[in-house]
Amino acid sequence: MKRTLLAAALLAAMTVYAQPPAWQQGKPPAMADSKLAPLAGRNTETPASEIPIGKVKLPKGFAVEIWATGMPGGRAMARGDSGKIYMGTRGLGRVYEVTDEGGRRTSRVVVDKLTQPSGVAMHDGSLYVMAIDKVLRYDGIENNPNVQPVDLTDRFNLPPQQHHNWKYIAFGPDGKLYVPFGAPCNICEPPAEYAQIRRYNADGSGMEVIARGVRNTQGFTWHPRTKQLWFTDHGRDWMGDKGPEDELNRISKAGLNFGYPYCHAKGVLDADFKRKDGCKGVTLPVATMGPHAAAMGVIFYTGSMFPKEYRNTMFVARKGSWNRTVKFGFDVANVRPSKDGRKATVKPFMTGFLEDPKTAKFWGRPAYLLQMPDGSMLVSDEQLGAIYRVSYAKK
Amino acid sequence: MRSSCKGRWAWLTALFVANALAQSLPERLRLCEACHGPGGNSATPGTPSLAGQPPIFLENQLVLLREGMREVPQMAAAVQGLKDAEIRLIARHYAGQKPAAPQGKPDPTLMKQGAALARKLHCGSCHEQDYRGREQMPRLAAQREEYLEYAMNGYRTYTRKGGDTMMAAALYGVSDADVKALAHYLAHLR
Repeated sequence: MKRTLLAAALLAAMTVYAQPPAWQQGKPPAMADSKLAPLAGRNTETPASEIPIGKVKLPKGFAVEIWATGMPGGRAMARGDSGKIYMGTRGLGRVYEVTDEGGRRTSRVVVDKLTQPSGVAMHDGSLYVMAIDKVLRYDGIENNPNVQPVDLTDRFNLPPQQHHNWKYIAFGPDGKLYVPFGAPCNICEPPAEYAQIRRYNADGSGMEVIARGVRNTQGFTWHPRTKQLWFTDHGRDWMGDKGPEDELNRISKAGLNFGYPYCHAKGVLDADFKRKDGCKGVTLPVATMGPHAAAMGVIFYTGSMFPKEYRNTMFVARKGSWNRTVKFGFDVANVRPSKDGRKATVKPFMTGFLEDPKTAKFWGRPAYLLQMPDGSMLVSDEQLGAIYRVSYAKK
Repeated sequence: MRSSCKGRWAWLTALFVANALAQSLPERLRLCEACHGPGGNSATPGTPSLAGQPPIFLENQLVLLREGMREVPQMAAAVQGLKDAEIRLIARHYAGQKPAAPQGKPDPTLMKQGAALARKLHCGSCHEQDYRGREQMPRLAAQREEYLEYAMNGYRTYTRKGGDTMMAAALYGVSDADVKALAHYLAHLR
C-alpha cells in the first residue's frame, strides 16, 4: 500500500516535470538554440563604492543618492509606522529589515531559508511575509525585533506549483490582503487555482478571486481617488523581440478576465493556444509597458516634493528583459493615465542602468518603489541589493 | 592532501579550526584546494573542479552553501562565517584559473552518445556551445565525470536544493545510462 502511494506520488511529481522548464515552455523549434535565459541575480553584497550611481539619468531638478546597501536580492519594500522597511527576496530566501538611523541605514535578516519570500506587507503593526509555500505574521516587529512569527500558512490554501508563484502582496483600502497566483508556466492552460489575483481577510479567511487571466503580476496599487486596483502583468516569452508587451491593467470591478493564455497585450492572439475569439470578453490593458520589460512595482505619486505634474501619476519599475535579443527596460517609467483611466502615456523617468542593449550590458535592475513621508521616492535595485532615493529640489 | 578529505569527522573538525584561523585570501584558498585541488582542479573523487567556472555561479553557490540552502555538510563547515566580500574574492580567483586537461582516455561510444544527447537536450543554449558556462550556469567541460553524474542525479531526484527547478525539468525522462554518457562526454571536453 505504502509503495503504491509512493509510486503514485512519484508519478504525480514526474507528470509535473514532463515538460521543458517552465520558463522555456512555448519555445518554438526555430528558437531551440536561442541563448536567451533569465539573467543571473547576485547573492552577495555590493558595497556602495561599487555602485555607479552617477550613471543614473533623471529629468532636470531631480537627484538620486544611494540610500541603503547590503541587502542582496532585495525586492519589494513595505514600510512600518516607525519607518523600518521590510524587504523580501526570491532565491536567497531572506527577508530584511532596514532601519534608518538618521544619515545612515543598517539592515538585518528577519528570517531566512524560506522558499522565495518575496511578498512583504505591513498591516496594523504586523509584518506579513509570504513565501511560495508559507505565510508568516510578525506582530509588533518594529518594537520587538525578536518576536516569533504566527504561522498562517494553513489558512491561505496555497497551491503546490512554484513557477510564477512567488508573491507580491499588499493590503488594499478595504483592509484585505491581495495575493496573486501566477501561471505555473510560460504559456499553458493553467489549472483553476492559478493565473489570478485573490483577496483575503487579514487572517486568511474569506478568500475571493477578483481577477482571472493574469499571467504573472509582480506589482499593484490602488488609485488614490478612485480606489481602483492597478496592476502590472508580465507578457509571455518566446514569441519574439516584439512582445507581446507587458501590461498595465485596471480593475474596474471584480470578476474581469485579463486574457491569459489566449489574449495578450492590446489584443495579440497567442501563438500556441490559438483561438479565433481569444480576445472576446477580455479586458485589455490601459497601457502596454514594452516587450519583455518585466514591469514590476507601481505606485501612484501623492507627495508634494515632486513638481505638480507628477501628482497622482504613476511610477512603474521595469526590471528589464531577458527574453529579447536587444534588451529593453531597466528603468523607472512615469505613466500618466487619462482622466477616465482608460488610456495612459508611458515615458522613461529614471534611466542609465542599461548601458548597451545589444550586449545586455547593465549594472542595475530597478524592481520596486516606495513613496516616503517627505515625498521622495525609494527605488529598490534587485541586482545590487540596494535602495536608491530620488528627490527633487527646485533649481 | 587527498587523504585528508577522507577521514570525514577528523577533517571537519580540522576544517572548523582552520576556518576560524584563516584570515588572508591565500590561507582561504589553501583550504579550498585541500579538496578542490591546486588551482581549483580537483583530483578528489566526488569533489568538483572550480577552475574556470563563471564567477557569478561560484559566488551564488557559495552563498547558498553558507546559508544552508544547499546542504553539503563538508562545505557548510568550510564556508561558515565567510563574508560576502571574501566569497567574491574566492569566486573571482577560481574563475580566473585555467581548467586542467581532462584525465583518462575517452570511450568513443560514450563520447558519441553523450554528444548527441547534449545536442538533443540543448545543454549548450544555456551552458554555451563549448560548455564553458556563463553567468549563473556552470562550466561543464572538463568537470569531474563522477561529479557531473552526481550533480545531475541530484537535480533528477530533487535532492539538490537551493536552485530552481530548471535543471530537474531539463533532465526529465533522461535515463541513468544517458546521464552516464552525458557525464562522460562533458568530462572529456577541453
